[in-house]
Amino acid sequence: MPTISFLRKDLERFLGRAAAPEQLESWLPLVKGELKDVNAATGEMRIELQDSNRPDLWSVEGIARQIRIKAEGAPRAYPFVQRKTRPARRVVVGNGMDKVRPFVAACAATGMPVTEEDLAHLIQTQEKLADGYGHRRRTVSVGLYRLPRIQFPVTYELVKPTEARFTPLGFSEPMTLKDILAAHPKGIEYGSILAGQPLLPLLRDKAGEVLSLPPIINSADIGQVEPGDSELFVEVTGTDAHMVLLTLNIFAVNFADRGAAVEPVEIQYPYDTPWGTSVATPRDINDAQRVPLKSIEDALGLAMDADMARDALRSYGYDVTTARDALTVRLPCYRHDLMHPVDVAEDVAISRGYDSFTPVMPAHFTVGALSEIERMSDHLRDHMIGQGFQEMCSNILMSREELVERMRLTPADGDRVVEVDNVMSQSFSCLRSWIVPSLLRIEAASPRAFYPHRLFEIGEVERPDAGTVTGSRTRTRLASLIAHPHANFSETHTCLDVLMFYLMRDYALEPVDHNSFMEGRAGTILCNGHPIGLIGELHPAVLENWGISMPVSVFEIEVDSLCGEEGAGSSSTSG
Amino acid sequence: MNSASDSLHPLEITLLAALGQSADAPSSDDELRERSQLAPSQISMALGWLQAKTLIRVHAETVTVWVGLTEVGRGYLVTGSPPEWLVQRCRQGAHEGRPLTVQTLQDADTFPPSDISRAIGLLKQEGAIRLTAGGHVEPTGAASPTAERFAALLNQLRERRRELPSFAPDEQTLLRQYAVKRGSAQKPFRIEERIRREYVLTEDGKAAAQRCRAEAADGRGAVNDVAQLTPAMLKDGSWRGARFRKYTISLRPPRVAPGRRHPYRAFLDLVKHQLVGMGFREMRGPLVETEFWNMDALFMPQFHPARAIHDVYFVKTPTHAARIDEPFLSSVAAAHEHGGDTGSRGWGYRYDAERARRLILRSQGTAVSARTLASKPLVPGKYFSMARCFRYDQVDATHATDFFQVEGIVLGDEIHFRTLLGLLTLFAEEMAQAKERAFLPAYFPFTEPSVELHVRHAQLGWMELGGAGLLRPEVTRPLGVTAPVIAWGLGLDRMAMVALGLHDIRDLFSTDLEKIRALRGRFA
Repeated sequence: MPTISFLRKDLERFLGRAAAPEQLESWLPLVKGELKDVNAATGEMRIELQDSNRPDLWSVEGIARQIRIKAEGAPRAYPFVQRKTRPARRVVVGNGMDKVRPFVAACAATGMPVTEEDLAHLIQTQEKLADGYGHRRRTVSVGLYRLPRIQFPVTYELVKPTEARFTPLGFSEPMTLKDILAAHPKGIEYGSILAGQPLLPLLRDKAGEVLSLPPIINSADIGQVEPGDSELFVEVTGTDAHMVLLTLNIFAVNFADRGAAVEPVEIQYPYDTPWGTSVATPRDINDAQRVPLKSIEDALGLAMDADMARDALRSYGYDVTTARDALTVRLPCYRHDLMHPVDVAEDVAISRGYDSFTPVMPAHFTVGALSEIERMSDHLRDHMIGQGFQEMCSNILMSREELVERMRLTPADGDRVVEVDNVMSQSFSCLRSWIVPSLLRIEAASPRAFYPHRLFEIGEVERPDAGTVTGSRTRTRLASLIAHPHANFSETHTCLDVLMFYLMRDYALEPVDHNSFMEGRAGTILCNGHPIGLIGELHPAVLENWGISMPVSVFEIEVDSLCGEEGAGSSSTSG
Repeated sequence: MNSASDSLHPLEITLLAALGQSADAPSSDDELRERSQLAPSQISMALGWLQAKTLIRVHAETVTVWVGLTEVGRGYLVTGSPPEWLVQRCRQGAHEGRPLTVQTLQDADTFPPSDISRAIGLLKQEGAIRLTAGGHVEPTGAASPTAERFAALLNQLRERRRELPSFAPDEQTLLRQYAVKRGSAQKPFRIEERIRREYVLTEDGKAAAQRCRAEAADGRGAVNDVAQLTPAMLKDGSWRGARFRKYTISLRPPRVAPGRRHPYRAFLDLVKHQLVGMGFREMRGPLVETEFWNMDALFMPQFHPARAIHDVYFVKTPTHAARIDEPFLSSVAAAHEHGGDTGSRGWGYRYDAERARRLILRSQGTAVSARTLASKPLVPGKYFSMARCFRYDQVDATHATDFFQVEGIVLGDEIHFRTLLGLLTLFAEEMAQAKERAFLPAYFPFTEPSVELHVRHAQLGWMELGGAGLLRPEVTRPLGVTAPVIAWGLGLDRMAMVALGLHDIRDLFSTDLEKIRALRGRFA
């Protein structure tokens, strides 16, 4: 979600009216904007835009436009998107471009001497669109140039990396394309987009002067726009035809709103595009769509006549004509986010204002219930608390050191854990496979908490299991820990015994060699002959690994094993 | 009849008596110790109780500095101080015609070598010894003032410690120079500060002491009171003749650590019971998810910036699930590519079925709802989950490595935008006890229309309580659901934190047992 910043007076310039803070607050829902902060001294405000499908709103012009349409009741026209005469300026696309970076769109903006502020906004919009919407320039990138320096037609074609040379922005000497990719900061940052391409895309004018190496860097000459320039050229290149054209359309309407005359450019392709081989840009990209009135009514839960819906949509920028039970709608050229009639319904709701809708309580009767595993977990929690245990709540991400190494687990004990590939911190690199390490982490951190310590936690763990579709299984487990100077097997065994008595489960302990526990003081807990957990006194070496200087006994059982089919068939006569 | 000693502990009675001996004159703690014969810990305990009951008060508090002998100092009483010992040994050696070297003196092992060196330096300076060419130490015959002063001081402190100001200034300097301050340095003297308090009886205290004396005289004193009723007394009936000491019930009891729910879990229990009360059924899902269920099924395109808001953890091995169940893989792929039969134009890109199988740690609870939608949910139906989610974020006061998301869905023919607002109103009132709320347009890739619910919370002011919307047909249809569906999620951690008085989200998962034992919350 992009955050953009501008001055209050910028907003007011494009709104054509004052923007008092409380008024701004009432307008921001129209653009799904959240005011992050306002600098009272400078009037600078930062607004976060939520809708990633509305890149037209990622500029002060766009925000003002949406608000202005609401205030004026209908959108202004941008006539340059309708082709009337053939543009004088052309960009000619070379062969093979369809394999590298197929699409380009461009226009000229004249008659507007750019100020320093204009330039700052243009660059902010360029960055937000290329970075956010254009996936860090991979799908879409934008270049701005000084129009008078360009001799048309411009060519957009592939060249050998060692053949062409130009002076990139920020440098003073001509470099080959290969050197730019290897040495220029932008080449290093964005070079991966062109990795593996034997030939690179290059924009040059009729005289062979380089405009840029898209999507990497402009030339330091033609591509260096400065305050005072009043004739600009803007081009967008990329891999998605609609996104490229939409981005240019956004720039074109932003230029127009700034007072420039937008002059279309014709793009000539040697291959086909959604709009043919000869495309004048900017241009409309949206078709008119028929939307049944009922689909809007059903979605909003509100009966409305076609005129109501039409007014709401017009004052949100749509081009609308009405029939008796349907609307024919068309988005403005700077939007391309109408995928389904529900999108129209939302725009009706936003345009009318969410507060204008009266909430209705859902009335259908439904039965609430906890899952069986949650009911069993709550049951176990009650029993553990009754036995004097403090419940704990730990993070599930831990380290392999905690889960395996400190516990002295060997392959025989089951030392596999689900690990994260893109590790941010070793401390959070594995999903816990059991809960005893979580409780030991607490014990290790709490030697000054007065004793005895009786802790338990019921929570999820991830158990590697090659037999499943995902290679692991999420299980819910209960672990308990007792620590004090005389903590031993017997005390923990008593707790387990009491628990199993009230669960009405027969169980048996079978001695087990497990590296986390002292030899001869550990057992597998069997329920109906199936292992459901472990009990024992922790090995002094484990305690030493954790820096714990208190004897500790634990048990851990799988809650899933006590539920449903797995838990059924056990004795109800014990005791 | 009430006796004065009824409410007094035997220790208190003993101390009152000790204080009473000096009538109106204040008594120091030392004096009280002598008179009462109680241990210092007992005295300080009883003094605290009596002060709490305003039977006594502190009359004066003086800080005194005392000097006494350490173990090393007691040793000097036998050997003499190093300078004294050294002078004597030298004289003895000279007398026997065996002049001593520095080495032999150090090897004598009576004092640490550093003490010997220091003493040699001092005595040389005072002219009591001299070092000759052969490394011999010879007495000059002159006396060492320091050795003599040392001997005198040791002697004065032989029996008991004394107040430092009782010594002459040059003596004080020497004492300080050779005194232990802290730790285990090998020094003969120890200087300590002591706070000496003097206590007097208050008027109530005098009356209580008076009554205690009277009661002690006629045999009604607390000395004969029984502390504990025993089974034997009940059996033989001897309780009838016994007098039971009355307790000071205003004192704090001993501490125990009870068994208890984790306070954050207790908060989540409340939430879960509220949801069940509103007719929601709990759902659960796996921690390790596929990108398919976490994102694709929610109509988040595989290569769109909407996906960037979910920075996720990827699983190392296996990297991919074995399969995604049909018909969901195909129907979701169609929705992404061209809309399939959802009435949508789709995202218009080539769907990557391989990427769909990529395993990740669940990044949003809505994945659980997606799975529920694909499992023939009840219509009408309400579902919720409290799903542990993982985000690839730096851990700080507002970001935990993994956290609970409370989210769910509501299905039914009655579902539309206004019932969505109705449900959110219910949440605002039930979950946040908020009378004021606001609905703001929002963006989620899987809902349209989308809403943010803001409420005015009693402590936090205006806050975002949750996000919701109507699931897009591109989400529901491919999973086999034709009814309209609300998807909702609540952000309750801030409310939990304010209820528990916490400011750092990490404290909800604290590993500090004392902290957890002390955490209390105003909820439930």
